[in-house]
Amino acid sequence: MSAELKKALYNISALADLGQAITSESVFHEKIQSVFYVITGTFLANRGAILSYDKSADRLITVTQKGFPPADLDRVDPEKLMSLGKNEPFLIGDSPVLAIAGVKILAPLWVRDEFIGVLLLSGKLTGSPYTQEDLELLNVIAHQIAIALNNHSLFMDLSDKLEENRRLYEEMRHIYHGTLQAFAAAIDAKDAYTQNHSYRVAKYSTAIARELGWNEHDIEGMYVAGYLHDVGKLAISNDLLNKVTPFTPEERAEIRKHSTTSHNITSKIKFPWQNVQDMVWHHHERLDGCGYPEALAQESLSDGVRILSLADSFDAMTSQRPYRKKMDVQTAITELKKCLESQFDNKIMLVFCKVLEKEIKGELPEPDILPYLDRDSDLSVISSMLEAIIQELSAP
Amino acid sequence: MKTVQFSVTSRLVGDAAVIYPKGYLNNLSGESLVKECGIYIGKGITKIVVNFSETDLINSIGISLLLQIIEDLKNIKGTICCTNMSKFLQDTFEMLGLIQYMVVFPVESDALQYLKVGKV
Ligand SMILES: [Fe+2]
Ligand SMILES: [Fe+2]
Repeated sequence: MSAELKKALYNISALADLGQAITSESVFHEKIQSVFYVITGTFLANRGAILSYDKSADRLITVTQKGFPPADLDRVDPEKLMSLGKNEPFLIGDSPVLAIAGVKILAPLWVRDEFIGVLLLSGKLTGSPYTQEDLELLNVIAHQIAIALNNHSLFMDLSDKLEENRRLYEEMRHIYHGTLQAFAAAIDAKDAYTQNHSYRVAKYSTAIARELGWNEHDIEGMYVAGYLHDVGKLAISNDLLNKVTPFTPEERAEIRKHSTTSHNITSKIKFPWQNVQDMVWHHHERLDGCGYPEALAQESLSDGVRILSLADSFDAMTSQRPYRKKMDVQTAITELKKCLESQFDNKIMLVFCKVLEKEIKGELPEPDILPYLDRDSDLSVISSMLEAIIQELSAP
Repeated sequence: MKTVQFSVTSRLVGDAAVIYPKGYLNNLSGESLVKECGIYIGKGITKIVVNFSETDLINSIGISLLLQIIEDLKNIKGTICCTNMSKFLQDTFEMLGLIQYMVVFPVESDALQYLKVGKV
C-alpha cells in the first residue's frame, strides 16, 4: 500500500471517528473533547482550540483548547474571522487576522448565515506543512463541528428559556400561596372557632383528590379551593359568626350568602386552575338538591365539589363551634355515612375512608388528615370502622 | 461498536516507567494513559516504555493522546520507547511520521536494556 493511500485511509477513518464522537450519547463537553482529540490527532497538531461565538456578548468563548495562553484566546476578535470564507481553512502566514503565537491555521465555523465560532490549530508536530488534502479534510470537519456547536447552543437557548419559565411559574405559585395564606389568616382572625379550618379542609380535600388519582396540577387547584371556600365569611359580621345562640332564619340566610361571596371574590382572580370558583361556590350543595345557594343536584355537582363538601363537613363536625361541642372522629364518620346519597357521594366517602385507613396504618409517608384529628381518638376503633365501611361501599 | 473498556497499569523498573495500556485507544478513556505517564514525569522520570502488547488498534483520538505524551517527554528531553506493537500500530506511526519521536523495540526487555546501557 502506498503512503498516500495509507494517509487517505487514515483521513477517512478520522472522519468516521469524528462522526462517532459527534453522535455519541456523551454529555456535550465530553463530545467536544473527543472531537478536539480527533482533529489534533488527525493533523498531528500539538496545540489547538475550539472557540464558540457568544452573539449577545459579541465575543468568543473557549470551549476546549490545549497549549495556548487563555488570555490570548480571550482577545480573538470575531469581526476579523467573520470576513473570512465560511468553514474555509485559512493559513495564517503573516496575516494580521489573529495575534496568537503558534496558530498556523484556522477555520471559521458557520452554519448557513450564522457565525458559530472558530477552530484554531498549531503547526504539525512533525513540522511538515498543511497539504491541500489537509485543507479539504479540515473544511469537511469544520462543517461538522459548526453543526454540532450550533445544535448545542440552540439546545442551551431552549433550556435557558425553559428554566426561566419554570422560575416564573414557581414565583407565581409562591405569590399565590402567600396570598392564600393571607386570606385564610384573615378568615381565622374573624372567627376564633374556625381556626385553621380552611387549611385543614385544603389538606383533607387534596388527600382525597390524590387518592382518586388526580394529577398534580388539579390537586393544587383542589388545595386552593379548600383554602378559599369560606373566604366569603369575611363579609359576615363578627357578632353573627361567633353567635352562641341558634340563628334566626334571617341570620341563617345571611350566613348562607358566604359561598356566593366566596365565588364572587375568587371570580376576580384569574387562576391557573379550572373549577376553583365552581368548587368554592357549591361547597354547601347536596346530592339531593337540598343544598345552597343554587340547589344543584347529582350530575351538576363535580367531583371537586363533592370532595370539598365532604371534607368541609368532616372538619366542621370534628371542630369545636360556638353553639356545640366537637364530635369525636367515630361519630363524625357515622354522621357522614348516614348522609350518603342524600348529601355526600359514595365514591368520595369510600376514597376518604381509604386514605384515612392508609394513614392510620402508616402506609402514607406524609399523612394529611391524621395529624389534625383528636389526639385522644382510639385509632384501632376508627380503623375497624373504616374497614367495615370500605368493604360495604366496595361491594358491587 | 464493540470496544473493550480501556485501562492502564504500570510499574517502575529502575529509573524507567513501563506502561501497559489495555484495549482500543479510541475514546476519552484513553486519557488515563496520558495521566499515568504524567504521574511518572511529575516524579522526575524521563524514560518511559509503552508496552502495546494488549493494544492492537488506535484511532485519531489515541494518536492525539500519544502526541501529548511525546510532547511532554520532549519538553523534559526524555525518551519514549514503544514495544510489542502490532503491525497496524507500527504502520500507523510510520505513516504519520511519529516513529521518529520514539524508539521502537520488538519486546519490553530490549527497551529496558537499551534504557539501562544505551544499547541492546
Ligand atoms: Fe362554608
Ligand atoms: Fe367551611
